[in-house]
Amino acid sequence: MDLLDLIDTVQSVADGVLFGATYALLGIGFTLIFGVMYKINLAYAAASIGAAYASLLILAGVKAQPILVFLAAAGCGGIIGWLIYLVGFRFIPLANPLATLMSTVGLLLLIDEIIVHTTAGVPLNYPALFADVIIRAGPFNLRGDLLFVFALGCLCMVVLLLMLYRTQLGLATRAVSQQPVAAQLCGISITAVNALTFIVTGFLGGIAGAMIGAAIGMLSPLLSLPLTVKGLIVTVIGGLGSIPGAIIAGLVVGGLENVFQFFRGVSERDLYVMLLLFAFLVFRPRGLFASPHVGD
Amino acid sequence: MDFYIGLAQIIGVHTLLGLSAYCVLLTGQVSLAQAGFFAIGAYVAGMLTVLAQWPLIPALVAAAIVAGAMACAVGFPALRVKGLMLVVATIAFGEAVRLFFFNFTYQLERGELRIGPHGGEGFRQIRYFPEHGWSTLDVMLFIWAVVVMVMALLWWMDRSRAGAVLRAVGDDELAAQSTGINITAVKVSAMTIGGVIAGLGGGLFAHYTTHIEHVQFGVVLATFAIAYPILGGLSSVFGTLMAVVFIQGFLIEGLRFMGDWRNLLFGGLIVLAMNMRPHGLLDAGTLLAVRRLIFRGKERANA
Repeated sequence: MDLLDLIDTVQSVADGVLFGATYALLGIGFTLIFGVMYKINLAYAAASIGAAYASLLILAGVKAQPILVFLAAAGCGGIIGWLIYLVGFRFIPLANPLATLMSTVGLLLLIDEIIVHTTAGVPLNYPALFADVIIRAGPFNLRGDLLFVFALGCLCMVVLLLMLYRTQLGLATRAVSQQPVAAQLCGISITAVNALTFIVTGFLGGIAGAMIGAAIGMLSPLLSLPLTVKGLIVTVIGGLGSIPGAIIAGLVVGGLENVFQFFRGVSERDLYVMLLLFAFLVFRPRGLFASPHVGD
Repeated sequence: MDFYIGLAQIIGVHTLLGLSAYCVLLTGQVSLAQAGFFAIGAYVAGMLTVLAQWPLIPALVAAAIVAGAMACAVGFPALRVKGLMLVVATIAFGEAVRLFFFNFTYQLERGELRIGPHGGEGFRQIRYFPEHGWSTLDVMLFIWAVVVMVMALLWWMDRSRAGAVLRAVGDDELAAQSTGINITAVKVSAMTIGGVIAGLGGGLFAHYTTHIEHVQFGVVLATFAIAYPILGGLSSVFGTLMAVVFIQGFLIEGLRFMGDWRNLLFGGLIVLAMNMRPHGLLDAGTLLAVRRLIFRGKERANA
């Protein structure tokens, strides 16, 4: 491999890691809900894309700043997250894991179809911030819009960690995830904490959806299934219930994905991501940073 | 009439797919890999009849064996993990199979045509049925003969000791283990049986559609596979059949007059069904009531 190839490889890794921030946010969403409720919300990535769409629809009339679109996406994400909790979890017995799995599958299909129905299936353009800025570092170029997406992702993660470890709400959330019965005896309402977790992950999902829209440049309902798969892979590689794990796994998967794409082409790229997951399942089934009590 | 025969073919093949997931779900495992086994069965059976000129039934048996062997091989590493991890591992396996066939090209010259799987374009000209003069009705009857056979075997298994063992592992692994059941062996066998059934279904699917391509075997098909038994309820094989008829016959074909709105209703009805009947349409209580209704006369006669 000569120098030029090396530069191209490093460049694609850098782009991939920047884009990986979106995978990290999706992974955090899956991991948080799993940590609190021991449930999978398969509708999460679809809801994120749905929130990004909703923000576009709300601000379709006014010529809004892109930053407003991002805030609107976060708000819509929170609302959609709460609705998902209400429809898919609130009234279904929690002891039956299959029922909530199926209801989130139903919601995944429903959200996709609502998107197709309202936009007639046409992909929409999504505004990006700093798209014309390119930072040069030696032989490498860093795209401004990807850098912004990365910075926003990091900001969200910091805010989330502060919320979890420095506020009453975070304390309650961690208590419910560690010992639901004891938390209830201390006067914490599990239903309220669960609903709040869905709203918080909805905020994150909305921002992730907007980030994906901004990084790719457009939105399409076709994105939701591949993103669900990628988000779940990130969750498992990072270790179930581990937030730092999800962050690191998201960035790693983003970077490696671009390496695979660079060497083997786009049609084989995801095949190698799946093999990576299998390697983890065989050699390190608990992921990078699983907490010891979340093994099964 | 042909429309209804075609619908019956679809329902038959999807019942096999649902039953393959039913076996695995009985042990309490959620496997989204069934679409992958289905794809393996479809490609293997198609390649054997088209490229190797095998008759249909040996090709189907070979497809079932290959898919079952694959399921057994996947079962060992995948069943080390449970719950969400297993869901993700099996989704990843299914997607890996799909992506493999997306990149898989193996074609032979046959006269002026090149036949065989061709990457993203898929696998065309699986013309076993038209070449051997089978009518649509014959095909439908053949598919249903296979479905009835598989259902009868599963129904019998459910009532035997093997069924009790599967359900015991599904209900409480720890209790099952403490009575001396080897849970890994049970889970891997359930996965293998599921793989065999999915492979059979895939082989039939390839032959009645005559054209298969990788997009047909994606995550959506995998979620359908587990949706049938979960919606229908795990108490009996007939729940799966009922859910297939409900989804394929009513939700997909019956609501066609609603146009675009049908797809919206589809997801909504699944959510509603899970809220109203979390243990499936045909749960243990309903089954008991039905059984009482049927056997009431007999019990009186005995008493």
